[in-house]
Amino acid sequence: MDFELDEAQQAILDAVASLLDKHAGPARAIELAGTDAYDHELDAALAESGFTEVADAEGAGPLEAALISEAVAAAGGMVSFPARALVAAGVGAALPPGPVAVCTALPRGLVRFASHAKSLLVLAPGEARLVSLEPGDCAPVRSSFAYPMGQAPGGLAAAGDALGEGSADTLVRWWRLALAVEAVGTMAACLEVTTSYLSQRRQFGRTIGSFQAVQHRLAELAIQIEASRWLVREAAFQGAPAEGVATASAYALAAAGQVFAETHQLSGAIGFTREHDLHVFSMRLQALRIEMGGVAEHRRAVARERWGGGASGRGVGA
Amino acid sequence: MEFDWAPEDARHRDEIRAFLAEVLPADWEEISKHGPGSDTQAAFSKTFCARMAERGWLTQHWPAAYGGRDASAWRHAVVGEEMWAIGEPRGAQYMNVNWIGPAIMRFGSEEQKAFHLPRISRGEVLWCQGFSEPEAGSDLVALRTLALREGDEYVVNGSKIWTSYVDNAEFIFLLVRTDPESKRHKGVSVLLCPVDTPGVEVREIPSVVGARYFHEVFFSDARVPVSALLGPEGEGWNVVNYALQYERVGAARYARAARTLDRLAELARERGMLDDPTWVEKLAEARGVCEAARVLTYKVIDERAKGRPPSADTQLARVAGTRADSAVANLAVELLGAEALEYGSYADANFRLAMTAGVAVGATEVQLNLIASRFLGLPRD
Repeated sequence: MDFELDEAQQAILDAVASLLDKHAGPARAIELAGTDAYDHELDAALAESGFTEVADAEGAGPLEAALISEAVAAAGGMVSFPARALVAAGVGAALPPGPVAVCTALPRGLVRFASHAKSLLVLAPGEARLVSLEPGDCAPVRSSFAYPMGQAPGGLAAAGDALGEGSADTLVRWWRLALAVEAVGTMAACLEVTTSYLSQRRQFGRTIGSFQAVQHRLAELAIQIEASRWLVREAAFQGAPAEGVATASAYALAAAGQVFAETHQLSGAIGFTREHDLHVFSMRLQALRIEMGGVAEHRRAVARERWGGGASGRGVGA
Repeated sequence: MEFDWAPEDARHRDEIRAFLAEVLPADWEEISKHGPGSDTQAAFSKTFCARMAERGWLTQHWPAAYGGRDASAWRHAVVGEEMWAIGEPRGAQYMNVNWIGPAIMRFGSEEQKAFHLPRISRGEVLWCQGFSEPEAGSDLVALRTLALREGDEYVVNGSKIWTSYVDNAEFIFLLVRTDPESKRHKGVSVLLCPVDTPGVEVREIPSVVGARYFHEVFFSDARVPVSALLGPEGEGWNVVNYALQYERVGAARYARAARTLDRLAELARERGMLDDPTWVEKLAEARGVCEAARVLTYKVIDERAKGRPPSADTQLARVAGTRADSAVANLAVELLGAEALEYGSYADANFRLAMTAGVAVGATEVQLNLIASRFLGLPRD
């Protein structure tokens, strides 16, 4: 057990931080927000530096991939890095460069990044599938929830290449982890933006962040975000065990709902504006909360894995 | 960063489980239901702790110089988890080994160490904690109990409140004001006071938590030898701060909550409730809250294992731990329904043990204040 970064991990994160300083951050995210854009520049920079393959790299693994994913999300990077570095790596799918989307064979909703994706990882019954996409395969659909969204094509259950026996379960495990890690980075950024704003904003002759009623609510969020962070890191280190990732995703995405509501409430009207940084992160949380069937579905997975609970819900595909 | 248990710690967990299976009596669940303060559990803890001590396990995290084995903070955490999960057969003695012993090691005289530490590590003594007062609860530093020096003695007057375990304890870790002119953190001292000192009177405070759970302890001209002073006179606040850091996450309550939750899931299955998504989701939500407390506690243990000064992570873990306790206790009542109405039933016993979470050992609101200032850096103005 060791909750501190070792030298190699620190070196990776330092390098990632300087890359993100250059290519990401709220200003860049605001520039891209609302344009349905994908950050190809950041994606290419991460690939060139070898970070996308970190899960398979010598002396590194899924924990390092998760740590980078967390940092990318916290910097507002509009890229499908976790889908590539964790999900594709987890199912052993070899992908061409470019954006990656993950969805089920029967998407009733829309798919994050699909309108830009070169590769689509599909949760089909039994086996996962890898589908190559051409421009125009997934029509872009406008969404309030920050990410570029696309409508996945029909017939995915038999499209592309099957990824082998058991790959569906594997895909689900890594997908949950990728989702949770993205939520952690994004929630931490929401809290950071809100805390620094409330440390400066004065009303009633004092700093808003000095009111105990405000402080306690932010402290409650800090507890949930930190717990999510460590649940996710532990699950990544352990190679995404089914129960561990379900617990992490159920807990983190429930926290995401609270983080959205509380950071907006405490930020006041400025939090709704395009000029303030909060929306860059907060609106993404809603999309993450909905994916894979939402918190209820993650919770049912926890019960199934731990106690063999038989209740089935809408399924991950909902 | 890595999250594997050291093989020797994982093996020790198995050893502890095998030991518990061997030594706990058939009616252990009945004994443990009433909590570590009950007479039966207090009595049982002496035999049990002696058997732990025989194996060198009771205080293995202590330095070898004081009868320990220099075991790591992680090893100590494994023991704590296994003990709490099964209902804490060490009874109130978990406090001795977690923080009273370490505070004596750090601040005690040679004579105090030689007298107290072997008794604690042999598992033959019960302690209690004399901190809160009627006018000093969450604001502990407002304490008023006076200990005025007269020759070789302190004459103690005042009262302590909410004191658990005192009816079976031999010693009270007593926080007093030795300088009557002092305010707040200054002029506070710690006395290692025998409970049978003349002038010390214990009265139960009847409560809904359970019989003989809370007490008030009155001091009327109680004469305590100066040799009972722990650390320098007037600097007791340092001693208490040191002790509190250990105390706040000393008890692995999340392990007990998680064990109870597993049991609830079993009961839910027997009743066909595991097919109902509503119950499934509630159980899973509570599982998340228990796991959150576990990882946040591990973060604190990691600091301790590395000898770092305690950070605000202690407060995060502490609040998360109380949330785990409450989440599971509330769910137990909800899930077992009318059965919970009977005094002493599984859900009732659990609920009463958990209902002090968030109040005992420092109110959650104080912890949240500390998180706001120390972890988030929010201004005080």
